[in-house]
Amino acid sequence: MIGLPFAGDGLVHGVLTGLGIFAALLFYAYEKRRRGLTDPRLWPIAGFAVAFGAIGSRLLTWDVSRQVSLADWWGNGDRSILAGLVGAWFGVHLGKRLTGYRKSTGDLLAPSVALALVLGRGGCLLTELPGTPTGGAWGIVLTPGQAALIGGPAGAGLHPSFAYEIVFHAIAFAVMWRFRDRLAHPGDLFICYVTSYALFRFGVEFVRGNEVLWLGMSRPQWFLLAVLPLLAWRMRRVFGRPVRPALKGRVA
Amino acid sequence: MSEDNPEVPRNPPPPEYQGGPPQQPKRGSMGLGILFGTMALYAIYFGGLIAVGGPYAWSNSILAGPATFVPIALYLVGSILLALRPRTSRWGAGLLIGLGIFTLLGEGLCVGFLAQPGI
Repeated sequence: MIGLPFAGDGLVHGVLTGLGIFAALLFYAYEKRRRGLTDPRLWPIAGFAVAFGAIGSRLLTWDVSRQVSLADWWGNGDRSILAGLVGAWFGVHLGKRLTGYRKSTGDLLAPSVALALVLGRGGCLLTELPGTPTGGAWGIVLTPGQAALIGGPAGAGLHPSFAYEIVFHAIAFAVMWRFRDRLAHPGDLFICYVTSYALFRFGVEFVRGNEVLWLGMSRPQWFLLAVLPLLAWRMRRVFGRPVRPALKGRVA
Repeated sequence: MSEDNPEVPRNPPPPEYQGGPPQQPKRGSMGLGILFGTMALYAIYFGGLIAVGGPYAWSNSILAGPATFVPIALYLVGSILLALRPRTSRWGAGLLIGLGIFTLLGEGLCVGFLAQPGI
């Protein structure tokens, strides 16, 4: 069994989140250079992604049913990676619209996001409630003091759900690194990453320990259930498109 | 995969966007933008907190309640405008990233602290 070394420590969480953002920006710069992209509008678009991602991670989780003011929620309310991704997606589209940039930027951003989440989730792993109880020897055990601070049972092994997520994002980053120049269409890499993360996240939520909203599923799972059909449709387009030109060629 | 479309209808990039190797115009420093933006936001909120006499006095100040977000909103609009101007695009990008860093790392604690006394 493993302990939780920095339970509730906002500084540790903040430092790792900051390192995640820094690593993502470095990789973005590297990848931009490697692809020979010199358009200066790409940095403002990255800025829009970071700013609106951060704002979205806080605002989009605002639960009015709890009767908490927005200012109080901003400071003490839940934060969500999923809400942050929605905010970043909105930010990128707003940035592209305002700057007039038309080309796809998803493939440039997707590995950076995965890298940021590897480090950022490290902060969650060291400081937050890890997950639901597990019988495995790899469970994280909270002391009574930590249990009172962050919630959850003391003395029982808990799923290190953030470690599962770190492994997912690390593998996703490696796969994207490997196949970043092999997909047929711009934006495909991003769609594949987001869809696979949505599926993974839906599954891992069962051991995350988030509040169950309805029918045994948490708020993120309900959100993902709403989004997954759209992602499935986009995936079908990703893998369906190469067939069509070939068929057209035969008919013609 | 298509390259830049020269017939982009809105905000077409100026000629130097096409990647002429020798002379890139100055667009401001992104690193300075990040540093300045983050520090400015901390100064506004922590400085404001000290200026009004602590978190309990904050609730009676002009920046209480929803007005807490006014500096952030003004900052956001300003940094977007800078990011859209070619001469200051990197500076504006840095300010936007600074806002993101402050929001994710520090502002929650700060604004939450300010918002505590009965907003």
